[in-house]
This record gives sequence, C-alpha cells and structure tokens, in this order.
Amino acid sequence: MSTAGGQTATLAVDLSIPVQADLVVLARLTAATVAGRAGFGVEDIEDLRLAVEELCLSLVGGAKDGRLHLTYECEGDAITVACRYEDAGTPAGPPGQGADDLSLRILDALVDEHGRQIRDGHPSAWLCKRRSDQPA
Amino acid sequence: MTDEARVQGEDTKALFLELAATRDTGVRDRLVTAHLGLAHQLARRYANRGEPYEDLVQVASLAIVKSVDRFDPERGVEFTTFATRTVIGELKRHFRDKGWAVRAPRRVQELYLELGKVTESLSQELGRSPTVAELATATGASEEAVLEALEAGQGYRTSSIDATDRNEETLASHIGGDDASMDTVEDRELLAPALAKLAPREQRILQLRFGQGLTQSEIAARVGISQMHVSRLLAASLERLRRSVTEAGAVERR
Repeated sequence: MSTAGGQTATLAVDLSIPVQADLVVLARLTAATVAGRAGFGVEDIEDLRLAVEELCLSLVGGAKDGRLHLTYECEGDAITVACRYEDAGTPAGPPGQGADDLSLRILDALVDEHGRQIRDGHPSAWLCKRRSDQPA
Repeated sequence: MTDEARVQGEDTKALFLELAATRDTGVRDRLVTAHLGLAHQLARRYANRGEPYEDLVQVASLAIVKSVDRFDPERGVEFTTFATRTVIGELKRHFRDKGWAVRAPRRVQELYLELGKVTESLSQELGRSPTVAELATATGASEEAVLEALEAGQGYRTSSIDATDRNEETLASHIGGDDASMDTVEDRELLAPALAKLAPREQRILQLRFGQGLTQSEIAARVGISQMHVSRLLAASLERLRRSVTEAGAVERR
C-alpha cells in the first residue's frame, strides 16, 4: 500500500476458517480485497482468487474438518498468502498431502512463487503474486 | 499404449521441435491428443460453476490446440505449464462471457454486466487491466460492491471445496489427490496390460475417474449405478490392478 507520504507500508490480515465449503468464499474475498486495496488489476485479482482456493485445496486433501489459518501480507507490488491447515485431532500428514500435480501446475500458472512445508507440525503452503501492471 | 504415453515416451520437446521444423499436421495432432487429459482435468476442476462440463472440456481442448500452435520449445518452459496457463485463461474468459448460472441478486448481476463492458473499455484505454478503484469510479459503485460482483460473476463454485456433494465424498476425491499413481508414463505402461484384464464396465469407470476426472457421483449418473456401488467397484478395480502390477513386477525381477 502507498501511504500519503509515498512510503510503502505492509498490510497484514489474518483469517481463520473452518474447512467448510461455503466459507472458502471468505478466503477468496479477503485476497481480492487486499489485492484491490493494493491496486492490483482485475486480471491479477482473478488469478489470486483461483490460486488462494487452490492453495487451500492442496492442503486440505481428503479432510472434512479442521481449520485453515490464512495470513495475507501485502508489501510493495507483492501479496503473499500463507495458509496452514490444522486438523481436528488426527496427526498432521506430510505437507501438501492433498496436492497433486494439477494443483502445482495451476499454482505455477497463476502466481509468481509458491511452496509448501510443515510449520509447527501442520501442513502449510504459501504463494506470492506480484502486480503485473502498474496503475498510472 | 495410449497416445499420451507414446508421445511422452518419445519426448514432447523433440516432437515440438519437429513440429516447428515441418508443421506436420500428424505431429500436431499427436501432441494435441496427448494433452487432452490435461484439458479434462482442468475442466473438471472448474466444473459445477453453472456451465456444462462438456462445454468446459470443449473450451479447454481448444485451448490445448492453441497452446500446441503457440508453444515455443526453445523458451525453456514446460509445455504443460504453458498449456495450463492458456487453458485457465480461456476458461476464465468463458466464465466471464457465459458464466451466468449464478444465483446472485439482480443488482449484482447488472453491476457485473456493466463491469464487463467498463473493464473492456478501460483495458483498451489504459493498456492494462483496471484496478478495483478505477472500476468503482467508472461505474459509480463502491469498491465493496465491485468486489462482490466480481466474485459472484465468476460463479465460484469450483468442483472441490465448494462441491455440493461434499458430504458424500472427501475433498481428495474431487481434487484428484488419489490420482498420483496414474501420473507417470511408466505407471501407465505398467498398468496397460493389467487394465485390459478388467471387465469393460470397470475399465470405463476407471477411465471416467482417472482419465476424465469425474467424481464418483458423476460416474454413478453416467453408468446408471449408485455412488456407493461406484466406490466399491473403484476400490475393487484398483486392488486388482495393484495385485496385477505387483505380480508383473515380481515376474520381471525373476
């Protein structure tokens, strides 16, 4: 985000949602809102929405419960979204247990960088999308 | 052996180089056919958003043709990465143009339609994709309303987390997480003789599940049996395949 003084500030937003179909909209809308405020174009926002959903899917895999914790950070012309899946009691699987080749290909196509790891014992994944065109 | 296995075995890059040099339609057709599976997978991923699955497959397949025609093997990018980008772009465009099975309030639909026109004219005027703020100013709507309309306008019912039948199936069955064993050419080559031993209906169910990426419910509707029955047949078929492959491996090692 740009401040009145022209300095670039970091915008950070945290979101925690249950693994539930009708709540994934919140993950997408938050991404779109953060990107919209940061001046991303609608094409980039569109890609980011799809990518955030894919990120969630790649972590959740076959689970029907648990929670997704998402952190959105916007700095300069880049937005980073980190997502951690906490299951409802059963031990965490390896990172990206639900990720298949298609998920990785889709993320490759939509964002600049992405990755996955175990964080605090929980499967986690992140992505970074840079603004592809600068508003005048 | 499938066309896909044959082409990948021969090295996709070599075929693209041959295509660039000769423009041979036979080579082009083989490359297209070999990558139609990707079109099906991506179409499946974005199904359940109001557009018929078959239409999405058509859009995705045409995008594969476009990708084959435009791909430059010298650029150092994998064809599947290039093609995925192209297919997603075409699917997004398709939803933008036609994705109107959205159960959104009229005001949201109207704003979305207006946004489509304004986005087009602003993109031409600015030489880039407009921002949410610019769209809000141009339409007189709030930024929140613009975001809401853009969300609703895309349907956003991807076939995975948003699937309506999620109570019947796990998310993994929607996102194909269990397809990994079918991914490599080596696996497919090894599986081919084992697949041939299965009954035609079992082969068809496996093809629908892994070839076209349909859910168990969709397969049930196609084949005319219950989802539970599909689930049982899939499990039994996979078990038989596993056994055949293990036995074949044991014979080869002797």
